[in-house]
Amino acid sequence: MTTQPTLSRRDFLKTAGVGAAAVTATCVLGSQASPASASGSTSENGWAMLIDTTRCTGCQSCALACKEVKSRPNPTVEPTALSSEAYSFIDLRPAPGAEKTINVKRQCMHCQHPACVSACTVGALRKTADGPVTYDDKKCIGCRYCQYACPFGVPTYDWNNPLGLIHKCDLCVQRLAEGEMPACVASCPAGALHFGRRSDMLAQARARIRSNQRRYVDKVYGEYEAGGTSMLYLAGVPFSQLGLPELGEQTISHQAEAVMTKTPVIAASVATLATGLYWLLKRRDLKLNEVQVTLPQEDQDGH
Amino acid sequence: MATNLHVEQSSSSAVPLLNRRMALALLGLMVLVGGLAGIIRLFAGLGRTTALVDAYPWGIWIGFDFTLIAFAGAGFTMAGLAHVLHQHKYHDAVRPAILAGLAGYVAVLLLLVLDLGRPDRFYHFIFFWNFHSPLFEISWCVLLYTTVLLLEVSPCLLERINRPLSEKLLRVATMIMPVVAVVGVTLSSLHQSTLGTLYLNMPHRLHALWYSPALPVLFFVSSIMAGLSLATLAYGGASYVLRRPAKRAIIDGLARLAGWVALLYLVLKLGDLLISGELALIWSAGAYSAWWWLEMSLGLILPLALLFIPALRRRPWTPVIAPLLLLFGVMMNRFNATMFGQLLPANVNYSPHILEWLSTLGIIGAAVMAWLLGVRFLAIFEEKKAAHK
Repeated sequence: MTTQPTLSRRDFLKTAGVGAAAVTATCVLGSQASPASASGSTSENGWAMLIDTTRCTGCQSCALACKEVKSRPNPTVEPTALSSEAYSFIDLRPAPGAEKTINVKRQCMHCQHPACVSACTVGALRKTADGPVTYDDKKCIGCRYCQYACPFGVPTYDWNNPLGLIHKCDLCVQRLAEGEMPACVASCPAGALHFGRRSDMLAQARARIRSNQRRYVDKVYGEYEAGGTSMLYLAGVPFSQLGLPELGEQTISHQAEAVMTKTPVIAASVATLATGLYWLLKRRDLKLNEVQVTLPQEDQDGH
Repeated sequence: MATNLHVEQSSSSAVPLLNRRMALALLGLMVLVGGLAGIIRLFAGLGRTTALVDAYPWGIWIGFDFTLIAFAGAGFTMAGLAHVLHQHKYHDAVRPAILAGLAGYVAVLLLLVLDLGRPDRFYHFIFFWNFHSPLFEISWCVLLYTTVLLLEVSPCLLERINRPLSEKLLRVATMIMPVVAVVGVTLSSLHQSTLGTLYLNMPHRLHALWYSPALPVLFFVSSIMAGLSLATLAYGGASYVLRRPAKRAIIDGLARLAGWVALLYLVLKLGDLLISGELALIWSAGAYSAWWWLEMSLGLILPLALLFIPALRRRPWTPVIAPLLLLFGVMMNRFNATMFGQLLPANVNYSPHILEWLSTLGIIGAAVMAWLLGVRFLAIFEEKKAAHK
């Protein structure tokens, strides 16, 4: 607890630096800025969390702190799954041939290119410039498409509420704005959770793997998965035993987006083709009518 | 729905009027029960009235939505044939099909309202936009296309009213019909294919037998196939309801067109699996293979055999049975994409709540009833002179 705020302060200095650099870059490259970066839909170096599953003791402090900060019901009950009542939980997985469990903290992965954001009918889900994937409960219509798009099974629906909404971790975006750490990070007594800029978290993860090759598998889960995530995992066993899905480096939504961006072209092509056929065939019809003008009417409809 | 029509058909020769009333009474009962089920769902919430859970958030409502939209492709297919491609020989089959299209889309809108977690916010897509979202595009297209269908159906009503104003409106409607048809075909091409695009966002959830980058094309082509099939049956059905002899040339011609599109669809489906190197999955994927074969054999290969093998083609019931089978195939395809082809964790399953079934049947019953009443009371076979003469 006492060391964390210093980390936070240091991070904020870095943020200022990164921010200044970003402003400069934007000014220099202003004319070349892509629409995606202009709308702040992605940031390659936003806030990130390093989750060291080898250090997690499964004490549940993070999950309960999350419930409290997010005002979830039953704040003292330890959650065993993501739900509208718990935006994070610790998956206590029995390890093959070992007495201790492997403890995997689960929550929204805050993807670099989130499929839920791409899928959301009304744009209620957003990737903020600073990393968190946020949710606007004033816009959401409860279509639940995000639940299908998310490869991590993160968005949950409040099924018992007749006017239910989607629930998920927002990386404590409110606390971040107030200069505080996410509740889970602030509450971890085991030093399993670290928070900072994504590049720093990746550097720290690699340094740990290098310095203790017997403790860690040589992989950072989330570095490339589904285009990269803001949540980065270290583990002592192969990641297939952690219950995290095996995903390629492509973003989930790249194929759908490729089609969706062609919508205006498809619409214009179909409309032009249909109009063209209409005129062509109408002209042919009129010519046929001229020829057949002396024939009985029957013949036109009869064939 | 099918059983009621069947009751009406099979015994109508004996006491036709009474049975017509019985069919309507049965449909009315379905609508009443379904309406009650829907109201219960709206007030009690999804958790208590459906079997849906976080790992299985879409059920039979979505399955029937996708099925009905494909069936209702009858509207844009026939409007396109008649008003854009000037295929005048199918003239009589256009209005029954467009009316069926309208009934189908209204049913879909009702089902969607039941399915939304926040039904009170169904209009939000008008104000909050996300151009990357397939569902956003589908919402807009369905809204605009339902308006198009209302315009396309309007002459059926206007021709029944003998007022100066209605005559004036009818002239306007007839004048703008080609534009309306082009807009309708464009909107339909967009959202019928985008229903396939919607599944491109779930590569981790949909089995490879159905997941494909070609899904938008497959959904579009199969909606034309379903549209032509339903148009065949709607024309036959409307003729039957109004006790007019159905023109064999129209029914044969439409069924045959549906057959050619089905052939293209079969080539696309198999070609897609072949190119992606996943064709072996039709034997090796266990239950998924079984669902695939049910869809493909009964819903595509058998009707193709009926329509293209000369000895079978000449059977009198072929132009009715083949479109029915093709519709079954499209329904299976949409349900496989939504439900049976989904990859699920071992402990997750879904068997629909009784209220899901009752509300679905009620809404489909309402669509069938609306179509029957429309055929009976609207100018479904134009009695006034056709516009182009």
